[in-house]
Amino acid sequence: MSDMTELDKPTEVDNELRDEIRRISQHSRARRATVSKVMIALCAVALVVTAVPLVLLILQLLEKGLPVIDKTFFTTLPSTPSLIAPNATGGVSNAIVGSIALSLYASVLAIPLGVLVGVYLAETESRLASSLRVIAQTMAGAPSILMGLFAFSFVVHDLNIGFSAIAGSFALAVLMLPVIVISTEIAVRSVPNTLREAGLALGAKSHTVSLRVVLPAAVSGIVTGAILAISRAVGETAPVLLTIAGGFTNAWKPLDPVSAMPLTIFENAKSEWPSQRAQVWGVALVLVAFIFVLSLSARMWASRKQQVRN
Amino acid sequence: MTEIKSGAAVATSADIRGATAMQLHDVAVSFHGRTAVRDCTFDIAKNRVTSLIGPSGSGKTTLLRALNRLHDLTPGAKVSGQILLEGTDIYRGDITVTELRTRVGMVFQRPNPFPTMSIYDNVVSGLRFNGIKKKALLDEAAETSLRAAALWDSVESRLKVAASNLSGGEQQRLCIARALAMDPEVLLMDEPTSALDPIATLRIEELMTTLKSRVTIIIVTHNMQQAARISDDCAFLLMGEDRAGELIEFDTTEKIFNNPKDSRTLDYTLGRFG
Repeated sequence: MSDMTELDKPTEVDNELRDEIRRISQHSRARRATVSKVMIALCAVALVVTAVPLVLLILQLLEKGLPVIDKTFFTTLPSTPSLIAPNATGGVSNAIVGSIALSLYASVLAIPLGVLVGVYLAETESRLASSLRVIAQTMAGAPSILMGLFAFSFVVHDLNIGFSAIAGSFALAVLMLPVIVISTEIAVRSVPNTLREAGLALGAKSHTVSLRVVLPAAVSGIVTGAILAISRAVGETAPVLLTIAGGFTNAWKPLDPVSAMPLTIFENAKSEWPSQRAQVWGVALVLVAFIFVLSLSARMWASRKQQVRN
Repeated sequence: MTEIKSGAAVATSADIRGATAMQLHDVAVSFHGRTAVRDCTFDIAKNRVTSLIGPSGSGKTTLLRALNRLHDLTPGAKVSGQILLEGTDIYRGDITVTELRTRVGMVFQRPNPFPTMSIYDNVVSGLRFNGIKKKALLDEAAETSLRAAALWDSVESRLKVAASNLSGGEQQRLCIARALAMDPEVLLMDEPTSALDPIATLRIEELMTTLKSRVTIIIVTHNMQQAARISDDCAFLLMGEDRAGELIEFDTTEKIFNNPKDSRTLDYTLGRFG
């Protein structure tokens, strides 16, 4: 209360000092406006430089991919060109069916496990949790050929299952797992604590709160992470190279040797027949379209969920 | 689960406080060895509204959260002294923390309905978490508690709608209904109207006055007029020299506001500080 008298005293204004401050700030404003314009121009240049390779890539994909895509491209099996019929490449239905089967099995293997581990990491503080987190982060950075090698030695060789969809899915699942774990942990951690408290204050046990309050509230982030993991896995070549054998049938059962789009690209690119090499662009275009649709649906799902919540 | 307790022992005279719902004896809460609030000894009378008032940092919310063991989750938190619910020590007695929380409900500062659940699912969520699945029972509990929270008429036709579509005031009444569905003996309210506009605040205040016949209410409030309007008893807390909150005075609200024993209480209620 004693400072009230201090505040009530009228402050003496030093006119010279005020003019000085105005002059300096005016000068500085002009300088900052120039710096700002230069910076914006630099950002624009960086944007163009980044966009150019991407646009060129997409243009090339469309230019070279579209001509080789027709109905039989999707519906028929590949055939080997010969001197009599150098353009008889057939379709790539085996690769499309194989890729869909592989991503499906890999999702079944990786998503439930990854989500549970992610929730565990977010909801508990323990030595086990922090070790798991380090493992997940390390795995996320591991080269994908390693997953292929591991699946080859473990599933194909040790378990004696042979080259099969399940071996390829296993490799892809190991690749997806850390992505799902990390994105789930982030989504669960972003659920406000007030919701946990609301659940606990109703007499719920902490695992009940985790599964019935926190998990549903985090679901949009979890689904987005899972879809991004799938779209990354479906384009991977290295893990399937050593595990699926690349059959020339529309095989899709777990124990069948299947084919996959990245594998077809890899094999056909080495072909001596120009028609087969040309087909690679069609497969690449379908693969990119597949991933694009997956990512887009992930975004749409997330934004729709967000709207429901707000 | 759903029967309304008869409002028998509503004391009208300020001198007769009736039976006791909870007793606090020398209660203190500390975090990592730093005391946040201490010296709290008073009785919470049944079917009355007890308010905890005091400036920021005086430990009102910290004390309130000790009453349903919400500090259990905070690493380094320690509650000492004795808190009795109907004679049972809630920290050491023969009562589990989940049972305690079904008997001592809570409403928070900001409305926090479960965002992924409908209005109906929110109200019966506590019952479901505790294993009750019978539809007839849940339906009845939903209607009874929504009526008790004065929300039934406006939501009856849209029980399946997401709770986030309600206004702030309606969401808070939904949270009250959610707590009431457990049929608690005591309801803790942590500044339940601080995020609401004056009209929504008024409706919650009216609600508290009607609810006290079925549930004992303990409310933390920053708003002195609110404490004076709605509470029967009042505990005044203040931050001490070492920045720990302590109980200065506990009495009927009438005495605290008109004739307090401690001069600091008078200074605070007259708005001289805080």
